[in-house]
Amino acid sequence: MVRKKLAMLGLALLMTASLTACGGGGNGGKNNASSAEPSGNAGASNSANNTAQEDKTPVTFTYFNANSQVPDIDSNKTEIGKKLEEQTGVNFKLQFPVGDVNTKIGTMIASGDYPDVLAPDTAIDKILDAKAFIPLNDLIEQYGPNIKRVYGPYFNQMKQADGNIYFLPFSAVVGDYLPAPTIGQGAFFIQRRVLKEFGYPKIKTLDEYFDLIKKYNDAHKSEGLTGFTSLTYDWRTMGIFNAPMHLAGYPNDGDVIVDMATHKANVYADDDYTKRWLKKLNEINNEGLYDKSSFVNNYDQYLAKVSSGKVLGFFDYEWEVDQAIQNIRKTGNDDLDYMPLPIVFDQNTKDQYLDPNSFVDNRGVGITTSAKDPVRIIKFFDNMLKEENQIMIQWGFKGETYEVNDQGRFYLTPEQIEARKDNATNQKVGFTYFNYSWPMYGTASTLSDGNAYAVNSQPEVAQASFTEGDRNILEKYGVRTFSELFAAPDDRPWYPAWSISIEQGSPAEIFQQKSKDVKLKYFPKLVLAKPDQFDAIWEEYLKEFGKLDVKGFESTMDELIAAKIAKVTGTGN
Amino acid sequence: MDNQTAAAAAGTPVVPKPSQPKVKGAKRFFKLLLKQKALICMSVPFVIWIFVFKYLPLWGWTIAFQHYRPNLGMFQQEWVGLSQFKFLFSDDSFIRVMRNTLAMAVIKLVLGFVTAITLAVLLNELRLIFFKRFVQTISYLPHFISWVVAANLISTALSIDGDGIINKVLVGLHIIPEPIMWLGIGPYFWGILGISEVWKDVGWNTIVYLAAMTMIDPSQYEAAEIDGANRFQRILRVTLPGLKPVIIILLIMNLGSILETGFEPQYLLGNGMNAEYSENLEIFVLKYGISMGNFSLATAAGIFKTVVSFILLFSANALAKRMGEERLF
Repeated sequence: MVRKKLAMLGLALLMTASLTACGGGGNGGKNNASSAEPSGNAGASNSANNTAQEDKTPVTFTYFNANSQVPDIDSNKTEIGKKLEEQTGVNFKLQFPVGDVNTKIGTMIASGDYPDVLAPDTAIDKILDAKAFIPLNDLIEQYGPNIKRVYGPYFNQMKQADGNIYFLPFSAVVGDYLPAPTIGQGAFFIQRRVLKEFGYPKIKTLDEYFDLIKKYNDAHKSEGLTGFTSLTYDWRTMGIFNAPMHLAGYPNDGDVIVDMATHKANVYADDDYTKRWLKKLNEINNEGLYDKSSFVNNYDQYLAKVSSGKVLGFFDYEWEVDQAIQNIRKTGNDDLDYMPLPIVFDQNTKDQYLDPNSFVDNRGVGITTSAKDPVRIIKFFDNMLKEENQIMIQWGFKGETYEVNDQGRFYLTPEQIEARKDNATNQKVGFTYFNYSWPMYGTASTLSDGNAYAVNSQPEVAQASFTEGDRNILEKYGVRTFSELFAAPDDRPWYPAWSISIEQGSPAEIFQQKSKDVKLKYFPKLVLAKPDQFDAIWEEYLKEFGKLDVKGFESTMDELIAAKIAKVTGTGN
Repeated sequence: MDNQTAAAAAGTPVVPKPSQPKVKGAKRFFKLLLKQKALICMSVPFVIWIFVFKYLPLWGWTIAFQHYRPNLGMFQQEWVGLSQFKFLFSDDSFIRVMRNTLAMAVIKLVLGFVTAITLAVLLNELRLIFFKRFVQTISYLPHFISWVVAANLISTALSIDGDGIINKVLVGLHIIPEPIMWLGIGPYFWGILGISEVWKDVGWNTIVYLAAMTMIDPSQYEAAEIDGANRFQRILRVTLPGLKPVIIILLIMNLGSILETGFEPQYLLGNGMNAEYSENLEIFVLKYGISMGNFSLATAAGIFKTVVSFILLFSANALAKRMGEERLF
C-alpha cells in the first residue's frame, strides 16, 4: 500500500516536472514582453526630451470604444483620421463591441489584457475598480496644454478619490453654453396628425395629453391605432420608470428626485408621483388605449411598433427612439412624425425636461495599463483638442462638408445636410468615428469665433435641416426651435445624479437591482389590473418595495450628491 | 500469410492469465509500467492536458472565498470566508431561482428525451428515404439558429399584435375568445420554454439515436417478424431495448449538467411579467455577480452548481450500476 502511494507520488512529481517546464516557457515569454516595454518607454522619453522635432514615426495603437456599435476600422482609412495621422504619425485600430459591453470589459479585466485606449461606457466603474487606467496628471502637466485649456475648469470633478485623473470625459463646455435646438432627451411624444386634427392645441398636463389621444383614437376607430406604448426591456426601462419624475417637474436624476433646496434625494418609485402615473396608465389601459404588449416587447419589437406610424404617443428619451423616428421621416409623411412635448402632472408645475448645463463625469476615455506608449497617445489627444482639429472633427473640411459665409458663420448647403444623413459618407469622412468618444469639447460648446461647436447646434444649420413639417409645426406653436417649448433648466450642480458612480456590489447597487426587479414585477400588474383592484395591488407593491433598504439608499445618495456639489462648486477636494 | 494471421489472431486473446508468477509491490508496478510503456507514453500528454486545463483552473475557486478585486494579486485579496455563499443562499429570490432552474431542467430533460426518441423511432420506420431525409433536415435546422434570432421568432409568433400567428390561429379556430399574452403570464413560461427547446433541438438530438439504431442487428427484426410481431411490437421489443444503453448513458450525462439549464432563452424571452418563473440561477448570477463586478459571487454559484451536478452524476451512475445497467464509469 505504502509503496503504491510512493509510486503515485513519483508519478505526480513527474507531472509537476513537466508542468514547471511548461511554466518556465510561459515566464520566458513574459520576460520578453517586459524587456520590450522599457525600450518602448525609452524611445518615448527620448522623443519627449527633444520636443523641438516631434516624433512622427508611424505607430498604431488599439482603441476599444464601447459607446457605439459601428464597423471596426483603421482610423487612417477615414479622411479625418488620415489628417490626424499626418499631424502625429499615430494610427488607431478602432474596435467596437459586438454584444454585451459588460461581458467584453469583464473579460478584459479578467485577462488583464487591454487595448491601448479604452472608452468603457457604462463599465467604467469596473475599469476604475480594476485600476486598468493609468493616472494622467503628470502626462497632462507635461504634454497637454490643450487638455489643460479644455478640461482645466473641470479637473476638480475629474479627480477620483485618490486625487488622480484617470480619464477624459466628453462634456467639457468650452466658450458659451449653447443648448441644442432639438430635443435629444426625454419628452412625451405625440404624433403630429393628432395635433393637426385638433388645430394644434397647447397641451401641458398628462390628462390633456391622454384626452387628445383618446379623442383622436375614437374618431379613427377602424385604423387599428395604438394609443400609447412604452418599453421595459433589459436595461431600457426608463420609458415607464422615469416618467413620474419628469411629470412632477424634475430632470432625469435616475432613481431619485433631488430637492432643490435641501439637496435630499428621494426614491420616487414608492411615491404618489409614481402612483398617479401608473393609475393614469391603468385608466387608459381600460379604455383600450394602452399597448398591453409594452411589457413583453423587446427593443426590436418596440422600434418596429413606433416605426409603423400607428402609435399615437409614447414617453421616452429621443436617443432611444431615434432610429424609429428616422424611419418615419424617410416615408416623407410628416403627419406620422412625432412632436416632443413637456407634459407635467399639474397646470402650475414648471417642466424640467431639458438637461441643466452639467458635466457628466462617469463616462470618458482613458489610457490603459497595457498601453505601449502613453506619451504618444496623450500628445495625440492634446493635438486633437486644438481648435482647428475640433472644427475638423465636427464640421469636416471647408468647401467639402461645410461652408463659411462672409461673416465667418459656418453653414451647410442642402446637399451637405443630405450627405450627413448618409452613414456611409459619415464613415468615410470619419465623423462616425471621431465626433464622439474622444477628448473633445462638450456638444454645447461654442468656438472662439462664435460659431457653434456641434453642427446641429448651429442655428443656421438647425433651421436648414428642419423639414417642411418641422417648420410648419414650430410656426403653429410660435417657436423657432423645439427646445423653446420647454422651460429653461434650473441650475443643479449635482446633475445628473444618475451619473454619480455607486460602488460595485455595494448595498446601494444591490438596492438598485432589487428595486428594479420589484418594479418590473408590479408595474405591469398595476397597469393591466381592473381599475377596482388597483389600490389593493398598489398596497401590495408598497409592502414589497418597503422590504428593501430605501432609507439606506437615499442616505447613500445624499452623501454622494453632497460630495458632488462640493466638488462642482469647488468647496471640496 | 495464413500462419501469420492465425498467430496474430491467436496471440492477443490467449494471454495466459494465471501463468505469471505473482510479483509483489513496486517491482510488479514497474514491470507493468515497462510492459505498457507505449500506452503510458501515449496517455501522458492527455493527462497533462487535463491537469492544465481542467484541474489548474480549480485554483480560481479560491475567488469564491474572497472579496475579489481583479487588479490585486492573489495574496493581497481580502478573504471573506463563506460570506458569498451566505449571500447566495440567504437571498429571498434564491429558492425561487432554484425552483425555476430545476423545473426548467426537468422539463427540458424529459421532454427532450421523449420527443427525440419518438421522432427517431418514427424516422427509423420510414421506408421512403427522400421523405426521411427531408424530415430530418427540416427538424434539425433550427438547431443552427442562434437563440437571439430564435427568441425573436418565438416572441413574434406569440405576440398579441397582428403578426402573432399563434393567437391568430387559436382565435380563428375559436379555441380562445381573445388573444392571450403568452409571454406575459408567468406559469406559461416553463411550457413555452420546453416547447421552444424541443422545436430547436429535437432533430439534432435524434441523430445519436438514429446512429444507435443502425447498430441493431437486422436479424433481430427478421426473427421478430417471423415470430409474428407487428410493427409496433417490433419497436417495443427490438428497437427500444436496442437503444437502452445509449439512452441510459445520455441520461446520466445529462443529469450531470442538470443545473445548466442554459441562459439565453430565459434571458431573451424573460420579462418583468414572467420573471417569477423565468429567472434561473444563471440570470441571478449575471444580475448580482457579473453585472455588479462581484466575480466572487459568480464563482460561488459556479461551485454550488458543480457540487450539485457532481452528486447527481454519481448517484445516477451508482443507481445504474446497482440496477445492472449500462453506466458511464
